[in-house]
Amino acid sequence: MTDVQDKVVTTEKPSVVATLFRFQSVFGLIAVFVAAIIFSPRKNGEILFVSADNLANVVRAVSEIGIIAVGMTFVILIGGIDLSVGAVLGLAAVGSAVLMVENDWGFLPSVVLVLAIGLVFGALQGVATAMIGIQSFIVTLAGLQIARGLARIWSGGQGVAIAYGDGPKEAPTSFALLGERTFGGLVPIPVIIFAVVAIAAVVFLRVSAFSRHLYAVGGNEKAARLSGVPVVRVKIAVFAICGLLASLAGIVHAVQLNQGSPNDGIGYELDAIAAVVIGGTSLAGGRGSVAGTVAGALLLGVLNNILALNNIDSNIQLLIKGLVIVAAAALQRLRPTS
Amino acid sequence: MAESFDLVRMVGIGKRYGGVQACHEVDFVLGAGEVHALLGENGAGKSTLMKILSGDVTEYAGSIAINGTPVRFSGPTDAQAAGIAMIHQELDLVPGLSVADNIFLGRELRTTVRTVDRRRMEREARELLDRSGVSLDPRRPVGELRVGEQQLVTIAKAISLDARVLIMDEPTSALTSSEVERLFDVIRELRNSGVGIVYISHRMEEIAKVADRATVLRNGKIVTSFDPRKLSTAEVVEAMVGRPVQTMFTTPDSDTGDELLRVENLKLKARRPRPGRRDPDGISLTVRSGEIVGLAGLLGAGRTELLETLYGVAPGGTRTGRILLQGKPIQPRGPRQALAQGIGFVPEDRRASGLVLFHSILANTVVSSLPSYGRLGVIARRMERAASTRMADRLRLKFGRLQDEVGTLSGGNQQKVVFGRMLLTEPKLLLLDEPTRGVDVGAKAEIYRLLGELAAQGLGVLLASSELPELVGVCDRVVVLRDGRDVASFSTADSGEGELLAAAMGQGAVFDEVGGV
Amino acid sequence: MRSVRIPLAAAAPFVMAALVLAGCGTTSERASGGASPGSSKSCKGTDGKYTIGMSQANVAEPYRQRMDDDIKAAAKDVPQFDVKFADAAQDNAKQVADVENYITQQIDLLIISPNEAKPLTAVVKKAYDKGIPVIVLDRKVEGDAYTGFIGGDNVQIGREAGKYIAEKLLPQGGNVVELKGLAGATPQAERHEGFVEGIKGNPKVKVIASASGDWLREKGQAQMDALLKANPKIDVVYSHNDPMAEGAYLAAKAVGREKEMKFTGIDALPIPSGGIKAVEQGRLSATFTYPTNGKEAIAAAKKILVECGTIEKTQTLPTRLIDASNAAKIYAEENPTG
Repeated sequence: MTDVQDKVVTTEKPSVVATLFRFQSVFGLIAVFVAAIIFSPRKNGEILFVSADNLANVVRAVSEIGIIAVGMTFVILIGGIDLSVGAVLGLAAVGSAVLMVENDWGFLPSVVLVLAIGLVFGALQGVATAMIGIQSFIVTLAGLQIARGLARIWSGGQGVAIAYGDGPKEAPTSFALLGERTFGGLVPIPVIIFAVVAIAAVVFLRVSAFSRHLYAVGGNEKAARLSGVPVVRVKIAVFAICGLLASLAGIVHAVQLNQGSPNDGIGYELDAIAAVVIGGTSLAGGRGSVAGTVAGALLLGVLNNILALNNIDSNIQLLIKGLVIVAAAALQRLRPTS
Repeated sequence: MAESFDLVRMVGIGKRYGGVQACHEVDFVLGAGEVHALLGENGAGKSTLMKILSGDVTEYAGSIAINGTPVRFSGPTDAQAAGIAMIHQELDLVPGLSVADNIFLGRELRTTVRTVDRRRMEREARELLDRSGVSLDPRRPVGELRVGEQQLVTIAKAISLDARVLIMDEPTSALTSSEVERLFDVIRELRNSGVGIVYISHRMEEIAKVADRATVLRNGKIVTSFDPRKLSTAEVVEAMVGRPVQTMFTTPDSDTGDELLRVENLKLKARRPRPGRRDPDGISLTVRSGEIVGLAGLLGAGRTELLETLYGVAPGGTRTGRILLQGKPIQPRGPRQALAQGIGFVPEDRRASGLVLFHSILANTVVSSLPSYGRLGVIARRMERAASTRMADRLRLKFGRLQDEVGTLSGGNQQKVVFGRMLLTEPKLLLLDEPTRGVDVGAKAEIYRLLGELAAQGLGVLLASSELPELVGVCDRVVVLRDGRDVASFSTADSGEGELLAAAMGQGAVFDEVGGV
Repeated sequence: MRSVRIPLAAAAPFVMAALVLAGCGTTSERASGGASPGSSKSCKGTDGKYTIGMSQANVAEPYRQRMDDDIKAAAKDVPQFDVKFADAAQDNAKQVADVENYITQQIDLLIISPNEAKPLTAVVKKAYDKGIPVIVLDRKVEGDAYTGFIGGDNVQIGREAGKYIAEKLLPQGGNVVELKGLAGATPQAERHEGFVEGIKGNPKVKVIASASGDWLREKGQAQMDALLKANPKIDVVYSHNDPMAEGAYLAAKAVGREKEMKFTGIDALPIPSGGIKAVEQGRLSATFTYPTNGKEAIAAAKKILVECGTIEKTQTLPTRLIDASNAAKIYAEENPTG
């Protein structure tokens, strides 16, 4: 660090460019959204992309990844990674189905138990990384296998179909509501759940003392510890939150597909990480925001949708998505460091 | 080999960062076999000038000639090829690699079958280290070394480059006096072999000893150039800061109060001893409230380790002896407990252990005292801002906005942020580890003033430092550690640096005079 | 610090809301009504132009890639057809989104090869209820909200394979090991069930071990490595598909035991890496065709859209035994140009 460069920054006001970079994912989302309108196929003069049904589909399709990505943001903010979220989603989907269909549990106890499982699973991973000091990549890689295995065992290796009704071997009809749409049959409930989770996370990160601790741990763990930040507690809590949100997404997943299958959510962790990265959160920890992640998830959703509407070959779609992730990461490198 | 040319001639160098003129029409000449000291406060333009010379900064006005040949480097590699090596203040070593690997990084010695010749690298590394006056096992991972030892490794590495121009930026900031002496021997040896050395330092006494010429920069311009042996420290400081400086150490001898900290025969037996770490092996001392007690000792005497033990962050092990805080025995368990009991700690390496450099000044100052700014875990932003502002005022922090990243501040101001964080926890006892390392003269003076103020308010301070003038000037009393034991205690009223050094080096050890202030 | 820099943080949920609201503004309820699919509404005769959406579960499986290829090839002969393809990459949720995107695009007919039955039932019904004729391939969805199903009979195939092994390969009895498909997959259960029936006639045929190769060649090979160690005498390897059979062959060959035993597979894809070639080249003793139904699907689509006719609700295609006697001939038949 030059002595002189320091002074420069303190004297300069944040420029337009800096603002653009800071909210790159939001602007990226707007750009992709506009591009989607331009490139949208039209039928009878109607722009298919902006039809109500289609936009509802877009946000519904990202809601599960979005919920996971919010939890993933927390973990990445402390400089960790959670590879187990997809598997925990599968475990939660299986859990919801088995408890409600095969064990004839009620709606509330099932959901509470499934969420608790996710929370505890995450917390245990937190313990392993914070107290034993195993890198989170390894802990959650193991967690991925374990959750997947538990899901297979619990489901007997089969997808458990969910039928609704009051009879035995039927899930309570109240559960089906989670998969419905509201506000004139337009807004899917999962989207509302995602929105609530995202807003809660944003507010939480804004006002809580915990969030300051979280950013400090991610920014410089040693400094945080010496400053009296309860590093171990923060880590465990963060992994617990991530596990909790993954299991919430699993419940949503089960309702959406009327089934809990042990193979649900394979690869979702990577989509969630992609959303976080596009959202501008640094994998090194300590900087980033949930708002960015939400924008990142929506960006991916809009991109998926517009590529599909234009019937772009599925292999080409993969290439384009890969390039978008690299571009987002490259933009971060170009970002003027203040 | 035209003798008539200067080794380095920089003419009319200018560099502008945004609205700030970092260098303006600077002419700088370095002759072969010359040690040229560069002085100036942080922000005076020393680093920029040297970054231009070492190829780190490629956009600049003016011209550079090496041995009369005009050059324009497109990067550090270019400069290195021209024989210019820079030892950065930030140590650019790979922690996971061994000392030898680090020294030969990128130009590993090979065997005849092109594999890495580990044995030869280790042997040559050992010779280099010996030349720099250190005995270090070249096979040890750099990450295990202490900051001072790492500094010596970077110096050895730079020497191994056989550079014609060697730029040393604060090379002694983490070294003990005896190591500084040995480094000076190395510098003299290099000078005699015709190497030109640019020596950047804040330590006047070092410059007086080792430099042939000194140039003072202020606000990007050259203020004066002089023979360092002929100008008094006060005059130099005045040139640097642009105003007369009264005596550096203005700590009033405050009345000391009741006993705050008592350490009795403290020993720590680490469960997994780490090489190079000297855990307390029978230390007894006391700190009264309102008293500043210095901790002196050579590198590896166990100063840092004692502070860490008291703060509860030493590695696990069996602790014996007693620690009493205000008469009550305590068992240090960690920072949270220590802070709750009123013990604050300012670590040695503020970049690695003190700050989140890319977080705001605000976030860095309040992180230790968050619960006091709100209720139920919700932060009242107004309160935290108020606290941060109050602390910034009190510390005379020079900054733009509280949202600015701490990394944009100068070293001295960064250190003030770490101080402010601890003070916001309202401690009774402050443990300070090298609090003025890499801090410019002005900020140093302010830190000393602050320490005096704090002591006057009844705080106890335990200050570990390798700068003897600082210990003598700031502290009421100095405890000397050697090999993890306290070996002597002096009142600074009636003893000086020589006695401290003698005690630190042990009975019978030969010591020359160490340059006074 | 990044945590405190989120004045726009709340923007994200708003952006999300804006997505939905923007949709509201352009609501345009298409006349969907309850027009019965396959009715004259979708049929515009030979002069019409038709867009067909093909939703594939996972093109990473050679069988499903071949299905797409067969559809593409067959559609070439119907100038009125324009077929779009989507790949769900083995993810139920992705396939739901794919079908929804087709609905948005207002396709004229949907062909779907579902990843799993239960999770896709709802979205297939949605398409069907909008008046889009639906042809379901290979795996059924639940209920009857589709126009027609075309598939093979896995129980039947398993039975044929069992009989072949019991009567042709091991008339004197012997030890069989079974390499199963992915646990939880319906074809896996059915191919096992049929096989057990098929070998009933010869009580001296014993299934001494079984393992799951997840349909994959490399897994089949790894499982076989273990089975070979554990079982000194193996006479026949019954594999649920050809790739696993090939993997098993490689494992046996590696320990020099490939001559001791015979290998059978299922699927018989007429591609260079498929089972027919493996039989022709002598690695497998036999394989059983599992038709991709691609040709048949396009024929059915033509009937519905161009000829305004109706199709059978369920069309089951028979399997064929491929052995050394007919492998070359059938391969040539299936690949007329080359």
